[in-house]
Amino acid sequence: MVGKRFTLGFILGLALVFFSWPGAQPAQASCGSVTCFVVIGSQQQVSPKGLLTVNAFYNYTPQGTLLSGTNGVIPAVDLDNRQLILDHHREIRTISQMYTLDLNYGITDRFGLEVAIPYKRVKHQHFDGLGEDIDGNGGTGVLNRFSDNGIGDIFINAKYNLLPTLSSMVVTGFGVYIPTGDHNQKTAGIEGAETMEPTAQLGRGQFGLQGSIYQTYEIIPHRLNQFASASYRHTFRNNFGYQFGDQFDFGLGANLVTVPWLVLTNQFNYRYMVHDAYSGSLSRSATPSDGVLFPGEALVLDSNISNRAVPTTGSTYFAYTPGFQLNLGEAIKTSLTENTSVYFYSQIPIARDFNGNLAQGVSYVFGITKMFQVMNPS
Amino acid sequence: MTRLQVLMIGMLVATLWVLPFDVWSMGSRVPTVGMQAEDFRLADLAGKEQSLSQYRGKIVLLNFWATWCKPCTTEMPAMQTAYDKLRDKGFVVLAVNELEDDVRVREHIKQYGHTFPVLMDHDNKVANQFGVFGLPVSVFIDQEGRVQEYIKGGLLTEQKIDETIARIQKQAPIKAAALR
Repeated sequence: MVGKRFTLGFILGLALVFFSWPGAQPAQASCGSVTCFVVIGSQQQVSPKGLLTVNAFYNYTPQGTLLSGTNGVIPAVDLDNRQLILDHHREIRTISQMYTLDLNYGITDRFGLEVAIPYKRVKHQHFDGLGEDIDGNGGTGVLNRFSDNGIGDIFINAKYNLLPTLSSMVVTGFGVYIPTGDHNQKTAGIEGAETMEPTAQLGRGQFGLQGSIYQTYEIIPHRLNQFASASYRHTFRNNFGYQFGDQFDFGLGANLVTVPWLVLTNQFNYRYMVHDAYSGSLSRSATPSDGVLFPGEALVLDSNISNRAVPTTGSTYFAYTPGFQLNLGEAIKTSLTENTSVYFYSQIPIARDFNGNLAQGVSYVFGITKMFQVMNPS
Repeated sequence: MTRLQVLMIGMLVATLWVLPFDVWSMGSRVPTVGMQAEDFRLADLAGKEQSLSQYRGKIVLLNFWATWCKPCTTEMPAMQTAYDKLRDKGFVVLAVNELEDDVRVREHIKQYGHTFPVLMDHDNKVANQFGVFGLPVSVFIDQEGRVQEYIKGGLLTEQKIDETIARIQKQAPIKAAALR
């Protein structure tokens, strides 16, 4: 009874949080956003038969660091005119926040299904229209701020435990990203409403596939546990002709049970993202060296619509992620805290290359896990 | 089609192949009811080797457990009660400890006053043999060494043990009559 009430309250609470935020605000032209990625064991594992594992976590990822040798000037993806305009934006900062409800259910002891429902919130600041003469500004661009929030692309994942033993586990997964997130958001840009750039939309506008593998091993049983994970995500080209680059994520770490209620985690994470690609014509912003054409309209370099890698997308990111997990059921003996834990991770960049774009800074993840035995396991 | 797309499709096919049939496994499989339980040899807390086959002719409750596992320790008093009550009537409990050191287990057994044999599965071999990858698991094995019940999770009560033993005992004369 308590379990059912908690579940209902949990879902209602989450729904309240979801719907209490303001709706999508008028937004200016936009640029990329990234998210923090960590290995949360209860998310990657296969739940035992009949067990529902609920993870609700918050992810804060700032992208605002100018790396040495970069100036934050990036191209604009003009979806309405099907063109890529080089050197059109100067990035200042992007804050990505994601609230994810992740449900894992064990259909058998070895086969499980996972559904992840993200709620995204993006805040962005940049100078738009570099090289254009907007209100006589001499081509310096106009400062724009925007934010957007809503449901992102829902992820459905089938997982299979290849190596079910007490000391080891190898889980393979194959999942599909459903394009449930809004990808047609219009902006109130400097030249009237236009379609926001794909990288700032809440959804990618097309299906994606993900293959993954997760491995754990009890080095010292119930004391020290090692884990590793790898995943590959591919997104197909959307109706605007934009295709997000393939994404490779790797994680390697260990969990140390200090006392039964406190588990310390250390992990290293590596992400490689391939350039995005856009099918459009190519222009560039005017520069002072263009003489009388500066400031002015963007100059066409190639009017043919063809597939082009989008510069300043794609990245390489290596981070160290310490964290901890509090097993509430071990610390406080109540029915509410039973099978419940909370966790916190901080992802600290060690090496990063964002191809001239703003780099991802220190990110944070915190969340709660609760398990419910909804069916008899035998 | 790019190489990556081919790779993805390959992974999809592989996953779809593996998932519905539940056949590809590096771990062992859960024994089905009626099949012969595979024999094993493990040392007890006194260092003496014991095998499953030496208990042929008795009903065996093979229980996989660990001291850190709450559901395991919760169901152990019921096992002890059943053992005290039925040990002279052809029933034995074999508590197979998983991946713990002898000192810790010995302390635990002493603290709770358990008297049934405790076997140490240090390398996880017997658990794998019986398809155990979550604790606790209890396996009832009849007098002829056949698996009669496989119970996952901390569900054992004194009543459940009594009922299962009674059912197994009832089956034995029927089988004997059928053989005649």
